[in-house]
Amino acid sequence: MKNMREAVIAGVGITKFDSYDGEKGRPLRQFYDLGSEAIQKALDDAGMEWNDIQAAFCGSVYCGTGSGHQTIQKIGLTGIPIVNVENACSSGISALRLAFQMVGAEIYDCVIAAGFEQMPRGPIQSTAWPVWQRQMGFNVQPADYAMRTVRYMEETGATEEDFARVTVKNRNNGSLNPNARMQKPVTIEEVLSSRMVAKPLRFLNACPLADGGTAVIVCSRDKLKSTDKVVTVAAATLCTAFYSSARIQGADHVQTSADQAFEMAGMGPEDMDVVQAYDTMSPGELWDLEKLGFCKKGEAPHLLREGYFDLSGKLPVNTDGGLMSRGHPLGATALAQVIEIYRQIRGEAGPRQVAGAKAGLAHAMGAGPNSGVVILKR
Amino acid sequence: MSGAEKTIPLREGLWTEKGHDGQPHLLGHRCLDCGEVFFPRKENGICTHCHSQNLELIELSRKGQVHAFSVVMLRPPGGYYRGDVPYALANVLLDEGVLVEGLVTDVNLDDIKVGMDMELKIDKLHEDDEGNTVMTYKFRPSAA
Repeated sequence: MKNMREAVIAGVGITKFDSYDGEKGRPLRQFYDLGSEAIQKALDDAGMEWNDIQAAFCGSVYCGTGSGHQTIQKIGLTGIPIVNVENACSSGISALRLAFQMVGAEIYDCVIAAGFEQMPRGPIQSTAWPVWQRQMGFNVQPADYAMRTVRYMEETGATEEDFARVTVKNRNNGSLNPNARMQKPVTIEEVLSSRMVAKPLRFLNACPLADGGTAVIVCSRDKLKSTDKVVTVAAATLCTAFYSSARIQGADHVQTSADQAFEMAGMGPEDMDVVQAYDTMSPGELWDLEKLGFCKKGEAPHLLREGYFDLSGKLPVNTDGGLMSRGHPLGATALAQVIEIYRQIRGEAGPRQVAGAKAGLAHAMGAGPNSGVVILKR
Repeated sequence: MSGAEKTIPLREGLWTEKGHDGQPHLLGHRCLDCGEVFFPRKENGICTHCHSQNLELIELSRKGQVHAFSVVMLRPPGGYYRGDVPYALANVLLDEGVLVEGLVTDVNLDDIKVGMDMELKIDKLHEDDEGNTVMTYKFRPSAA
């Protein structure tokens, strides 16, 4: 990974994240409608034409065979290689990493990474558990998070009120993001009185589902149409699990993906002005910030209470509302994390702008497990 | 109902009804090279810690402590689980140092705590479509 050519972001595109299922007056929009809208917006943002794009990596999870091809057919047919990337919730960031490497290695000068999803309706049938474990009732994702939450509470003293505070902070930020599915703030009391899903996690500790599309164009600096406020991809990493058990302590894949990203960027956590941490479940944001290196284990709840991670705090986290407000279209989520950092560094985040943001980190993780980190800088 | 209903295990090989002490025990694998212990056993015979194929089948301890737990308030998707809701799941740390996820029984769901002493119980999971009683392993509070 040494001596790679600089890769910069030429433009980004994102749809409003919402439910596009065609029911109760809501519009029906397929994943390719959402993905192609985001791609066109990214081209417009970059001042580019589709003919400028030399390769495409498309992240999605539930969209079936050739979903990137179906999406790009709505834009243009130029014979370029299209590769579909399925890496669960890290699909989009995995696609971006491939685009970054292709430009860095000088294989192409201009590559698009896209992420899109129209989520299946009804409860998601996960095949991550064998049938006998499903018969024993293990196939409840919030229960997995709940057990990790119980451990976190045991080891750090964090409380259910702390987790409610994460939801409150992110929903406040989301109220300033017109692309978020949830734009109404909530109170600590509302979170703590929402229905229990898997003890100790409640309905408002969980991010809502959504459909949506995202796209990021990565290129070499000489291909930029405008050299105003250029944003460089300083690092893009991806890690999977290291063997670990109750008896054998293995490395943590989230921590490692962040360590590798900081090393690649030649920067440290103290250089980040804004962070998009991973908040599928609100307690997850706290241990995520610790594993990413922004504070020591058990410190995140205290810093949260002091307002450290607020929009006006020392290190604003999930300024666009995070998954908690945006909603979670699996294939699109990871690039939405990156797009917010890009907007902040460009000074284009409107009412949620962090003054003087010059560098930031976006994280996406999930089933696999995968953990992908992207660092952007001016 | 055909009259031929039987009592059957959820899955063969998860436990033995009569271990060395005449009691039921979960069955796991121990790696003879690195010492790591696994439950359930490794079907492909490969140690995912050191990659050895030198595994021995062992009876696991009937006792352990709650490492983490959750009380699930919703019915899992897919219709595979046919039991009561709410129900409790726990990760139990057995004496060998292996974590085993299982259903918790014979306890008030509000009383489950981290560190609670548990023991193995082979118990009814549900009745299948043929009327068979399907048995599985669970954990219940024990006297330490």
